[in-house]
Amino acid sequence: MDAYLIAIAIITAIYVLLALGLNLQYGLTGIVNFGHVGFFCVGAYTTAILSEHGVPLVVSFPLAAVLAMAFAWPLGLVSIRLREDYFAIVSLGFSEVVRLVATSERWLTNGVQGIAGIPKLFAGWLTGPAQSYAVLGLLVAFNALAILAMLRIVRSPFGRMIEAIRDNEEAVKALGKDPAGFKIQVLVLGAALAGLAGAVYAHYIGYISPEQFLPLITFQIWMAIIMGGVGRISGALVGAGILMLFLEGSRFLRDVMPFISEVSMASVRLGVVGLALILFTMYRPQGLMGDFTRK
Amino acid sequence: MTLSRRQTLAALAGSVLLPALSRTAGAQTAAFRIGALNPITGAGAPYGSGMQKMIVAAAAMVNDAGGAGGRTLEVSSEDTQTQPQAAVLAAKKLIEVNKVQAILGTWASGVSLAVAPLTNDAGILLMNTSGAPALSVPPANAKGLLYRFQATNDRFGRAFAEVATKQGFKRPATMAFNNASGIGNTEGFRKAWEAKGGKVVENVVYEPNQPSYRAELQKVLAAKPDVIVMGSYLADTTIILREWFQTGETTKFIIPAWAANPDLVKALGPEVTEGLISVDSISNEGSDAFKAFDAAYQKAMGQPGLSNVYAAMTWDMVVVLALAMEAAGPNADVAAISAKLREVAGPGGKAVSTFAEGKAALKTGKIDYQGASSILDFDQYGDVTPDFSVSVVEKGKIERKYIVKL
Repeated sequence: MDAYLIAIAIITAIYVLLALGLNLQYGLTGIVNFGHVGFFCVGAYTTAILSEHGVPLVVSFPLAAVLAMAFAWPLGLVSIRLREDYFAIVSLGFSEVVRLVATSERWLTNGVQGIAGIPKLFAGWLTGPAQSYAVLGLLVAFNALAILAMLRIVRSPFGRMIEAIRDNEEAVKALGKDPAGFKIQVLVLGAALAGLAGAVYAHYIGYISPEQFLPLITFQIWMAIIMGGVGRISGALVGAGILMLFLEGSRFLRDVMPFISEVSMASVRLGVVGLALILFTMYRPQGLMGDFTRK
Repeated sequence: MTLSRRQTLAALAGSVLLPALSRTAGAQTAAFRIGALNPITGAGAPYGSGMQKMIVAAAAMVNDAGGAGGRTLEVSSEDTQTQPQAAVLAAKKLIEVNKVQAILGTWASGVSLAVAPLTNDAGILLMNTSGAPALSVPPANAKGLLYRFQATNDRFGRAFAEVATKQGFKRPATMAFNNASGIGNTEGFRKAWEAKGGKVVENVVYEPNQPSYRAELQKVLAAKPDVIVMGSYLADTTIILREWFQTGETTKFIIPAWAANPDLVKALGPEVTEGLISVDSISNEGSDAFKAFDAAYQKAMGQPGLSNVYAAMTWDMVVVLALAMEAAGPNADVAAISAKLREVAGPGGKAVSTFAEGKAALKTGKIDYQGASSILDFDQYGDVTPDFSVSVVEKGKIERKYIVKL
């Protein structure tokens, strides 16, 4: 049971890392990013390909984040000035382009066959449960750092500026500031977190292929921050937790209610998540951790 | 307000988790637990529920026959969602919570590759229906606990090459749907063909879900092949063949049977499909094991067993596993059971086709289970080599012509 709970905790922590990035982009700055999974994918493939060629993990991990940022920057340059719903479509397109490149460029990514045998984290030193604990510990450390950075950002002039952009971009422009520049910075920062999450994911699962980076992941992260509370750091944590509870908890529902077949359970699982989303938007649009004082 | 909701959530979570825990703890020890890990949703959905139901049905049949090695089989079912990440969590749950000692029926290669490290760490069996060659060797098959019930993509390719030789083709070209299975087939063909000293005049890989494949088709036809070997699915094959017919070329096609089936003939009509060559790994159709499987499949799914070749494989998984348990004796561990798997399925014993028959025959000597999906002789990598049937479409009917043995 322990190892299963830890596996869930690890996946949840990866989702939290993704949710923190998206929360910075949408919750604090108002960037509607529908292409989050694209940066996740870039991070995963970067470290997978590098470690295939013998590059040590201490090098490939930071590079995963850096490359994700390098993808976000030009994307931001050309498209961040679009109105938010248009940017949503562009970013969705971006993540699909990333996936198609990973599918087609077989010399680099081994195409649809995917990259197998990606080395596990701490493989040389630890085995069995200790290794899983170490991976979880690493993720907790990454998340803690990310949260500290967020808290710092929120309290800084930069944080007040991006929140002002979210609340009224025209007013910010009237003050003589350049919202686009700030938004690009935020996009790049969020992408770095997603890239890092992708790197941990690749080394934890040990096998990646393009079909693991469908837009579905993006929307799961969106569900998490909507349920948890948009714009709240605790919301990213709680939201990712709830999402996992729905997705994994339904497995145990079947042990208690064996009369539901696995086929109908798959539909029940999606139905429950959908119902929860509807109820949240109807009765608590600010999310579980959101407060009532804000709009 | 917030607090009370959190408490409600926690209580809900607790009420879901606790009974599951107590159930596991209180379960009896006389059962051998197996996990049915199948693609209920996602790309494998057309096959997954049939596969899972056949595992449950075969386990019930084994239990009705008095169990295997003094133990009954207890099945826990999970959905891979045809996705590695979901499959990893599902496999962890099966191993840690349900304490299964074998996982049966992973379908997509990506899923099998992701689950294999977990089953190896736990020292349990993983029986799959995937095609990827990587599953035969370490690191995936590091402990020899992987058993594959489906022909590898390489073997499909080799069968295609045999057919092309037999039909006297000289200038083959390939077209492949861009996924692991499509490319696996045509790459396997290319390797086998070049090993015979031939040359493949053109290889084209196409992206799925296009309204037209004219550009790809013209690229292939420009190389003037006399036959095009396809690694394709039904929807794209339909479009490609229609466009090929419009060009007026007389090229022949060798197509895997999951694409060249009666639906294709119905969609295109007898004139277009005349002379198409359809190649399939065959279920062991004439066998008594297949009849038993077919009856169970009809009962569970209301469709003929021929419609789901993977379900025949999962049926065989349970039967072979149970026979190996019986042969290994009471309370044998996974390693001992694995050691008996090749013995009960391999050649050199009394041929049997059901569990009850095998159980009785084991009392007097060795057996050789002839499965519903193939005759099931595992090689050193845990792979099987099914036979392949070659059919030709004639006047709108798919007529089986001959069998290719590798």
